[in-house]
Amino acid sequence: MTSLAIETAGLTKRYGDTVALDGLDLSVERGEVYGFLGPNGAGKSTTIDLLLNYIKPTSGTARVLGYDPWTDVVASHRRIGICPDRFGTYDGMSARQHLRLVIDTKDVDDDPDRLLERVGLADAATRPAGEFSQGMEQRLALAMSLAGEPDLLILDEPFTGLDPHGVALVRDVVDAESDRGATVFFSSHVLGQVEVVCDRVGILHHGRLVEEGSLAVFREQLDLSDDATIEDVFVELTSETVSAPEESR
Amino acid sequence: MALPRWFPLARAEARRLLTSNGPWILAILLVLWAYRPSYVGWDELGPNLTVGFIQIAGSILLPLGVLLLSYRSVVAERSSGSLKFLLGLPLTRTDILVAKTLGRSAGIAIPVIGAVAVLGLAGGLRFGLFSPLRFGAVLLVTLLYVVTLVSIATAVSAATTSTVRATGVLFGGFYLVLTVLWKPVATAIYGAATGRAVSAYDAPADGALFLLLRMSPERSYHIVTNWLLGVGNSGALFEPALTKLRTPTSINVYAVDAAFEPGSVPLYLHELSGLLVLLCWLIVPLGVARYRFERGDLV
Repeated sequence: MTSLAIETAGLTKRYGDTVALDGLDLSVERGEVYGFLGPNGAGKSTTIDLLLNYIKPTSGTARVLGYDPWTDVVASHRRIGICPDRFGTYDGMSARQHLRLVIDTKDVDDDPDRLLERVGLADAATRPAGEFSQGMEQRLALAMSLAGEPDLLILDEPFTGLDPHGVALVRDVVDAESDRGATVFFSSHVLGQVEVVCDRVGILHHGRLVEEGSLAVFREQLDLSDDATIEDVFVELTSETVSAPEESR
Repeated sequence: MALPRWFPLARAEARRLLTSNGPWILAILLVLWAYRPSYVGWDELGPNLTVGFIQIAGSILLPLGVLLLSYRSVVAERSSGSLKFLLGLPLTRTDILVAKTLGRSAGIAIPVIGAVAVLGLAGGLRFGLFSPLRFGAVLLVTLLYVVTLVSIATAVSAATTSTVRATGVLFGGFYLVLTVLWKPVATAIYGAATGRAVSAYDAPADGALFLLLRMSPERSYHIVTNWLLGVGNSGALFEPALTKLRTPTSINVYAVDAAFEPGSVPLYLHELSGLLVLLCWLIVPLGVARYRFERGDLV
């Protein structure tokens, strides 16, 4: 069994003349918490969409838990927990029914109410998801991703639409899943959340991985002060895009 | 035996339909639409007129209802983003299409069976005991027609990227042309291809014309159910078909038995070919859609 949870080589996605992802080489070790960062449009969601077989690559290869993500869909998805970005729920189905569908399809033994409890939705178990706020939908998606103790969690912008309690919850869940031994791969453009939870980050810009490592390494490489945050690293690496709003202030 | 891995999704699809109003409203409308006693029906079929009501239920209104309940099944999930959850499950894309088709079929079939049971009860009380065998057989073919229609709608829904396009193809193309207007359209196509203007009052004994006519799933459904009812070989509803075949009245209806001399009917115009047409409509569009759905980008 390979020691890598995610491995891509030369992974490329083009839409006509637009290059969304440009030859990505990525390695995520089993058991690590990997933050996949970058400004909007950098190619983070494209990468995740490719790894989950939502879209097909123009060229390049990938392995997820050792499986080909485009041909071994059933085997790989059994062991991945997925929290997608810009998703929709089923209006007429209750939170519990959403979880039942995931648990039954994955053919795992898990309790919908326990999962809802974990994300703070125990009181809303029987309510139709159509009545949910964006934050509640995000919590429901997180609960669905946790069903059956997956080996790999792929969370696409998991902090979207969450209040500070929700953000803390995601952090706690990531910590707990990591302690259990799961690999966590998540994307974010909200940088402050990331450095607290990640073992390693990769920074994507214009469809390319521009830097990868831990915050300490970045500080050294970029000759930043010890109290430099990941924001500073980010600005340094992707200055043209990110620094603009700062200057206009 | 282990359940197929798409079963939970199919069950969720069925439940989602059964807990919504649409299929039950359709069932009520079907009863009101289909209970149509007629003199010619009673004279020729006797108590089996009740079985004919199922055929009326399966015509015009049922296809419209099934298409309305199915045309958004995939394309709407694509735009809402809920498809991301389904694609994230341990299912192939083909599994998703199969679950959608069978789950939705079950969710529509159950209210339709309810409507047919009410029709059977009402007709049985009014016209006496019908043949349970014919009743069951016509019901089965009607359910096959439901699955076929769901399959066509799911196929179009999966192969298009916009709800507007799915609506156009299914209602403008499939429903209007192939279901409602197929008789004049097929007559016009035949006329253009052969240079001979034909009319249903006095149709030529040409196998090509009658084969073209039964390419419509609706007309094939009529052919098979008319056969089971003992009406004769026609793609029209049983009542006009009976009028054409059993009464001296000349009407604008195509019937194989009226155009061909007995014994000269080509084998491919046997009523069972209608069943084959239905099965083709069940499999081919979904097969084509599956090919596209498996390969494309879905978000």
